[in-house]
Amino acid sequence: MSLLSWASRSAISVLALMLPLAAQTASDSQNSASQNPGSTQAPAAQPSSQPADLLIRNGTVLTVTHGVIQNGSVLVHNGKIAQVGTTIPAPAGATVIDATGKYVMPGIIDCHSHLALDGDVNEATSPITPSMNMLDAFVNTDKGLYQALAGGVTSLLLLHGSANMIGGQAVVIKNKFGLSREQMLFPNAPRSIKFASGENPKRVYGSRNQLPSTRMGNFEIQREALQQAKEYMRDWDDYNAKVQKGDKEARAPKRDLKLEALADVLRGKLLVQIHCYRADEFLTEMQMAREFGYHVRAFHHALEAYKVADKIAAEGVAIATWPDWWGFKDEAWDAQPWNAVMSSRHGVRVALKSDSGDVVRRLNQDAGKVIHYGGATEDEALKMITLNPAWIIGVDDRVGSLDVGKDGDITIWDKDPLSSYAKVEKAIIDGEVYFDNSLPGLGLTHWKNAPMSGSDFEGSEMDEELGIGEAH
Amino acid sequence: MKRLLLWIAGFLFISSFLFAQASKQKTRMATSQVEATGPIAIRGGKLLTITHGVIENGVVVMENGKITAVGAASTAIPRGATVIDATGMTVYPGLIDSETNLGLVEVEADQNSNDLNEPSDEIMPHMHVADAFHSETQRIPVVRVNGITNAIVAPGTQNSLPGQDIFIQLDGKDRDQMIVVPDIALPLNFSAAQRRRAMSGQGGGGGGARFPSTRMGLAAQLRQTLIDAQDYEAKLQSPARPSDSNKPAGGRGGSDRQKRDLKLEALLPYLHGQKPVVIGAEDGYDVENAMRLAREFNLKVVLNHVTHSQDILDEIASWKVPVIVGPIYDFPRADERYDAVYSLPGELYKRGVKIAFASYRVEHNRNLPYAAGYSVAFGLPYEEALKAVTINPAEIWGVADKLGSLDVGKTANVVIANGDPLDVKTDVKQVFIEGRNIPMENRQTRLRDQYGGVPTAR
Repeated sequence: MSLLSWASRSAISVLALMLPLAAQTASDSQNSASQNPGSTQAPAAQPSSQPADLLIRNGTVLTVTHGVIQNGSVLVHNGKIAQVGTTIPAPAGATVIDATGKYVMPGIIDCHSHLALDGDVNEATSPITPSMNMLDAFVNTDKGLYQALAGGVTSLLLLHGSANMIGGQAVVIKNKFGLSREQMLFPNAPRSIKFASGENPKRVYGSRNQLPSTRMGNFEIQREALQQAKEYMRDWDDYNAKVQKGDKEARAPKRDLKLEALADVLRGKLLVQIHCYRADEFLTEMQMAREFGYHVRAFHHALEAYKVADKIAAEGVAIATWPDWWGFKDEAWDAQPWNAVMSSRHGVRVALKSDSGDVVRRLNQDAGKVIHYGGATEDEALKMITLNPAWIIGVDDRVGSLDVGKDGDITIWDKDPLSSYAKVEKAIIDGEVYFDNSLPGLGLTHWKNAPMSGSDFEGSEMDEELGIGEAH
Repeated sequence: MKRLLLWIAGFLFISSFLFAQASKQKTRMATSQVEATGPIAIRGGKLLTITHGVIENGVVVMENGKITAVGAASTAIPRGATVIDATGMTVYPGLIDSETNLGLVEVEADQNSNDLNEPSDEIMPHMHVADAFHSETQRIPVVRVNGITNAIVAPGTQNSLPGQDIFIQLDGKDRDQMIVVPDIALPLNFSAAQRRRAMSGQGGGGGGARFPSTRMGLAAQLRQTLIDAQDYEAKLQSPARPSDSNKPAGGRGGSDRQKRDLKLEALLPYLHGQKPVVIGAEDGYDVENAMRLAREFNLKVVLNHVTHSQDILDEIASWKVPVIVGPIYDFPRADERYDAVYSLPGELYKRGVKIAFASYRVEHNRNLPYAAGYSVAFGLPYEEALKAVTINPAEIWGVADKLGSLDVGKTANVVIANGDPLDVKTDVKQVFIEGRNIPMENRQTRLRDQYGGVPTAR
């Protein structure tokens, strides 16, 4: 790359930083006019009743942000963490859980899941489908969510699959299994959109002899769509400016849901979550983001992140990866299990995610594996399944650690959760117990014994590639 | 400048690697000549002997590929031995995986490197994994650095009789040294997955165009095959029948020469109960059906999976056959408790069943010990979990005289790790196979190191 082009790109990236802020005010005013969605999901559904105070005491408290507290206690008031410390007196009427000999940690967060979508993961009829909204496919009775809850997972990002270059918009849920769809939505969580590149879109469209059959096609299609969105955004900005000036003759451009969603990407109102594996693809995606002035929130899978970790870190992009999946396809052939810790130590924010109905049930063990591969500290390992995925979803100010003011999303384990031997005893969300292992039957506290949905096979990236799962 | 040096180092590394590849044939002889090493003694570690308890601060001595001493700190170390200090470490026998596809598949999505299934027929007992086993697969060095030293390699499960397994050790100078027992067992898969329904493009309950498209078809086909094999053998053994007397006499003793049928011939050792048939079935009713067939023909049985057979565990126990249980990560049915499958190993053990673990798909083979560990959380005693990846599989596969424990006279497959072998946090430090100090490197460690390794914590 020549010095000149490097300089111009830097200038663009500075612009890119400023753009979303500038765009925010304009789009806010536009919201009321066009009923555009804002940058977040719906606010909280009204709680049926205020939960009682909850005090968990005498446990080994893994705070994630400020170390381990032996014989520690956590108090939850009105669904929020009110106190974390050693001796906390129980308020009158509080529910007290004795956690002697147990481990207490924040609920696990999976920032890459295709559960609870009843197989409607890919609208693989066109490579650009940004107006798809996973909320429309969300099935809140999927047994996979129950199994994830029993594995300590309290929040999930449900993503579109990777068949398309630009897939649909994600839904963020709190895993309050047994409650209604509305009540399971993570209130005010930022909106995310799924991008993908590499073998999957190549295979899906290549097998139909359509564009994109190559990575060249991949990125050209993406670039074209973003260019259209840029022009669409400009037309709307021009129109809104005219309206503001009192121009009665101004004609509103035709609304296009696809381009509106992509304009929201350019305005910084959608977090961009990109499925890709190879180092060169990270570089291309970051270059394209600079070119069009948006930010990539995270690379998902990112098995080759270790090759260009410094560049990913410099751009402030996170990765969501597996500790040890490898070799199930060509673009996963250079995977190695030290990737997570290597990338993390180069300054990349690293999350471990499941992308699997299986792995989501034991993400705690995946965190244990990065101690094995790379010698992560316990805090580093825990962050990868709590605070870092929370950041990727954009909810790290709300969940992901045991800190005062955060949501009361807490899991209690019988053994060290980073070992092979731990089971969840209780999973608590907003200060209420949703799973209690000591209960007979399913261990669920809010489930009304309706039939659960969900097939016996929860496909994953690996299964998709091998053609034995649902097409994700 | 630093980057330039890295490039040069990388180039030298790659060229030396290529050179090594090119000269592999020539160096092979030399390798086998230097193989015999002096004695190696591992001392100071916590020994998990499997057969005679835990020895703190113990000593293991290996020589000529065998374990020659196991004992307390006072155990004599031979003169001239290479001594390895394992203070703070755990020392245990190499783990044994009871089903993998190692060496049959490299990148599963790539057909060119995938030799899992022979799809032309369901009855393929004359397929030999030994004929396809690619001992130079990049996957084996990745798996063995996690302390797994031996494994069954089975074909894919598309067919009811897909071919015969091999038992391997995960190091050797060539294929022949790595295959410890060829044709060790015959999988017999009996579940919805072997029906030819999907292949004919029809789903639902109506069956497909190609036989066998139902479980009835699968069972009938298997039964006919076993009867054909019995008839074939009877003809081989019986003198010429009168109706054949007008044919020209054969070369041996005047009897007709039976045309050899490799497919049926392959079944004979299994019909004689000389080798085990590994029944792969998940649901209770499938397990029962396959078992009925096996008992009808007096087959020696090892059960595999039984993942959805919770209702017939007492019956399974009454058969007194060993069970490869899992994968324990298979999903429970809707409305089943989340741990319905995790708890199976413990439930089978409680009923006196000898169990072993397997990791199945190549992507997961290095995770064998963690399935055993997780079962401990759901009721399997820790010692039994350890046995289920060591001595139990050694007994099931008939190699307990050589493998599965730290005992004098056994093959020196020994692992040194920085902790509990079944815990995900544990890092394996050194693996010995037949007493050879295995390089703790593979394609993945080379990539790690090529890109600068793991920086220290800030």
